[in-house]
Amino acid sequence: MAANGIAAWPAKKMKLARSPRSGTLQPPTFDLDTWAGNYDGALLPLRLAHIAIHCPPLARQSLDLAISATKKGKDVQLYTRLCELAGQLGFQDLGAADQDWVGKQEEGNKRELGRLEGELRGYKNNLIRESIRMGQEDIATHLLLTGGPLPDPANAQSLNSSGYNAAYQAFGRMRDYCTTPTHIASMTLRLIYTASLQAVSAQQQHSSALPYFNSVLANAGRLRSVGVKEEEQVKLTPIASAAAGIAHLSLGNYSEAAATLLGTPFEYNTLGTVHGADFGKAMASANDLAIYGGLCALATYTRQNLVDKVLGGKFRSFLELEPHMRKAISLYTTAKYQACLATLRHYYSDWSLDIFLGAPVASGVRAGTHVDRLFARIREKSITAYLSSFSEVSLASLATTFPPSSASPTAMEDEVLGMIESGILDARLDVVNGILIAPRKETRSSAHTEAKKTAAEVERLLLLRLHKVNVAMAGLEIGRAKGSSGWESLSAGNGGY
Amino acid sequence: MADALAAMLSFPPDNVDKLSPKDYDRAMHAHMKIMDKTTQWTKPVDKQNILDLLNPTLNSIPYLYALIEHIKAAGKDKTRLDALLDRALIFFALFDPVQVRYVGASWVMVLGWVMDRLRAPAIPNLTPISTAILRLDPTAGTFTTNHLYFLRACLSSAVPSQALPILDKNIYAFPTIPPKNVPEDLLSEEHELSNAFITTKNGFTDKVQPDLILEYYLLGAHVYIGQRNWTRARLFLESVILTPSQQHATSALQVEAYKKWVLVGLLAEGKSYPLPRTHDTVVMKSIRLVAKPYDVLAEAFEKREWRKYQAEMDVGAQVWHDDGNLRMVKEAGDALLKYRVIDLQKTFAALPVSRVASHMGFTADATLHMVTDMIRYGALNASITPGSTSGEAVLRFHSTDVGPSSTVAQEGELAAQTKRIEDLVTFVRDADRRLQLTKEYVEHLKRVKRQGTGPDGDLADQMDLTWDAPVPGQDDGDEDIMAA
Repeated sequence: MAANGIAAWPAKKMKLARSPRSGTLQPPTFDLDTWAGNYDGALLPLRLAHIAIHCPPLARQSLDLAISATKKGKDVQLYTRLCELAGQLGFQDLGAADQDWVGKQEEGNKRELGRLEGELRGYKNNLIRESIRMGQEDIATHLLLTGGPLPDPANAQSLNSSGYNAAYQAFGRMRDYCTTPTHIASMTLRLIYTASLQAVSAQQQHSSALPYFNSVLANAGRLRSVGVKEEEQVKLTPIASAAAGIAHLSLGNYSEAAATLLGTPFEYNTLGTVHGADFGKAMASANDLAIYGGLCALATYTRQNLVDKVLGGKFRSFLELEPHMRKAISLYTTAKYQACLATLRHYYSDWSLDIFLGAPVASGVRAGTHVDRLFARIREKSITAYLSSFSEVSLASLATTFPPSSASPTAMEDEVLGMIESGILDARLDVVNGILIAPRKETRSSAHTEAKKTAAEVERLLLLRLHKVNVAMAGLEIGRAKGSSGWESLSAGNGGY
Repeated sequence: MADALAAMLSFPPDNVDKLSPKDYDRAMHAHMKIMDKTTQWTKPVDKQNILDLLNPTLNSIPYLYALIEHIKAAGKDKTRLDALLDRALIFFALFDPVQVRYVGASWVMVLGWVMDRLRAPAIPNLTPISTAILRLDPTAGTFTTNHLYFLRACLSSAVPSQALPILDKNIYAFPTIPPKNVPEDLLSEEHELSNAFITTKNGFTDKVQPDLILEYYLLGAHVYIGQRNWTRARLFLESVILTPSQQHATSALQVEAYKKWVLVGLLAEGKSYPLPRTHDTVVMKSIRLVAKPYDVLAEAFEKREWRKYQAEMDVGAQVWHDDGNLRMVKEAGDALLKYRVIDLQKTFAALPVSRVASHMGFTADATLHMVTDMIRYGALNASITPGSTSGEAVLRFHSTDVGPSSTVAQEGELAAQTKRIEDLVTFVRDADRRLQLTKEYVEHLKRVKRQGTGPDGDLADQMDLTWDAPVPGQDDGDEDIMAA
């Protein structure tokens, strides 16, 4: 069974991204062990794997952590995948899978599943809804912990009900047996978590995570209006908006992500365990949310909005957790773009190693990650804002303020041209002197021109209408061709019916 | 014979200025009765030619009648005909526009004769015709077949610009049968608009046919295209395209107009004009089906793909040639290059010619030459600083906002525009009035009244002739009424 399991996986194994970007990140500023202590659950090994792939200095340590963490759990598939990854990265010692443990654990998992299924059958015979619900939940949780059944290589359809998909479906089956809103809330929470797991593992296998994030979004929406009592709801709302924010971010809707995350109540940080799971540890900590929300807001909000809603709003308590994020935003609002970008760049590695921020924007290796995309947006916004106070700026001074990312001599010029052509920047470039010139607004004359244009347009339209009415009134509509009425009335094509 | 002359001179009476239109009309009818009976137009009176005795301004009708008889009598005698032509020209410069309203057919007859005579010389001068038309009707806004014949004459004599005095006037009405049950306006009254005295009844025009209208507008557009007056050309072509039809019939002239319309759009604005909102979708579909090659051309143009445009141009050479549009298609090709340079100024303020050249895919020398030409002809608001080679020369775009041509000139322009729109309001109000006199409108009113769904059910409200400025792009009521 174990051999069979490994053989079935190659198609979906964690591929090493072959792009030049992968494996080139600098070591982050955090300490891996402390960092890993912030998280638990099935996402932790995936996070560590993400780091291992992208950051060579930490690869060995993180794989080691990941494999030992997995071995404490029941997920044999994940274990074998991690071992394979270790092999690919060149750590043969870590790559050697403990076949004894694999075999034993697999056997145990199977037995456990059989036992749970038997129990559920019993409950169903007794027709006690609550027992059935709990039985379903047990099976689903078991599937989640063990990574679900393997897909049948002979049957493409089975992919839909293997792996975490099986767990998601099993949780969904609880719905029919839920009797109180609290049950629904608990089920929805699990669905959100499972869908996030599905999404992350899909991303690591380079397939599209969009449907999974969409289901996160949908479930987060349901969680907001699940109908539980007020005091319960205050615990659910933070989770709902955090999950929706993460989903928006992952789908690339940065402004929605910013709006959602900024609206997350700070109680998130002190929630603890809700319905048997600590969302902060399992999904994203309050510190993570501070980063996500801060970056998205920086990339999409105007300066005034940043001051009013981000620094001045309730999101500030999140930002206190990550002072450098707060510092970057206040630098931006005080027009110190260079310092702001430098601060952000300092944490580039940290954020790229985050499993949500560091994920590729679209499935495809060259698309860049969300961090890259957000950084690019912030940079564009900074350049535009910087130029707004000048009528002329030389490219050289622009390049000192905003050091271009590539070493090519025309990098700055190309970037500016790209921005002008895509309409982000309203300016013109003097290539000869290397000066960027802001447009001069001639309000008076442009108003004149506009008025004249409108007047001419009105005149033209009136004349055309008048012509139409006149023709109709004089009974001079073009008639059907009557054969021999000359060259003028050759009816073109099949005009009528 | 002297009696006859006395009768001819009896009108206008001395107190003509004091006559009310009604009395004038009555006197004129009496006068006409006598004139119609008179036969001795060609006989000299006291050994003098009768035409010498009549004043063309005061005695326009007898002068006109005499002229016709003389022309008939002259046969093919060239000297006599030339002399008569001179007299006719004098007549057309001096006639009384009110008097000739009563003798439209005769007037048109002489006009036609003069037009034929004037076309004969190598370099014809057809201005007397346009002057005559404008003297009769200073607005020239009621379409007559004279408009078209004159335009044809100008084009076939290769003097299209001479048609401009007439073409520049907007047509605001077609001659119709005056509505029944409405007291007829007197010809002698002072009319604001000429469609009151130019009707299908009184001989100023042959029978107007739909294809004649289309032809007039299409030929007019040709003249404007030749003049590079894109605005007017567009208006004329759109008039052709938008002419309503029965059961979505489509005229070949509309197809031709559409083809030119696409090209004019490319030349004038660098992209196709937006389709007029009031077009008939079925007609437009059949037009575009036939004019497909032009749409493809326009697409390549709008994407600024010069190579593709060139390829399309070569492939379709026969099509353009057969349509007589080959020169315009080629010109649009040149314009495409210019637009590529013009597009650059959105991005650049200054750049070396070598960069322009690489953008265009040309050599630096050719590019420099082209850009210099563009600047010289005012297509580009820019300057060139020469360098040691063509590639090093610098092209510097000036501010895209062209400085105001001077406030005074702008004011003049605005005033002219205001005047044009005010005139239009008069035209529209008149069309509105005529519309309300049609049978269809009355039936519509009846129906509305019966159903009780009118605005107030109050007839007076609906007869209100006030006219509000239309919101551009919105249907104005006129067409709804026709559709109802």
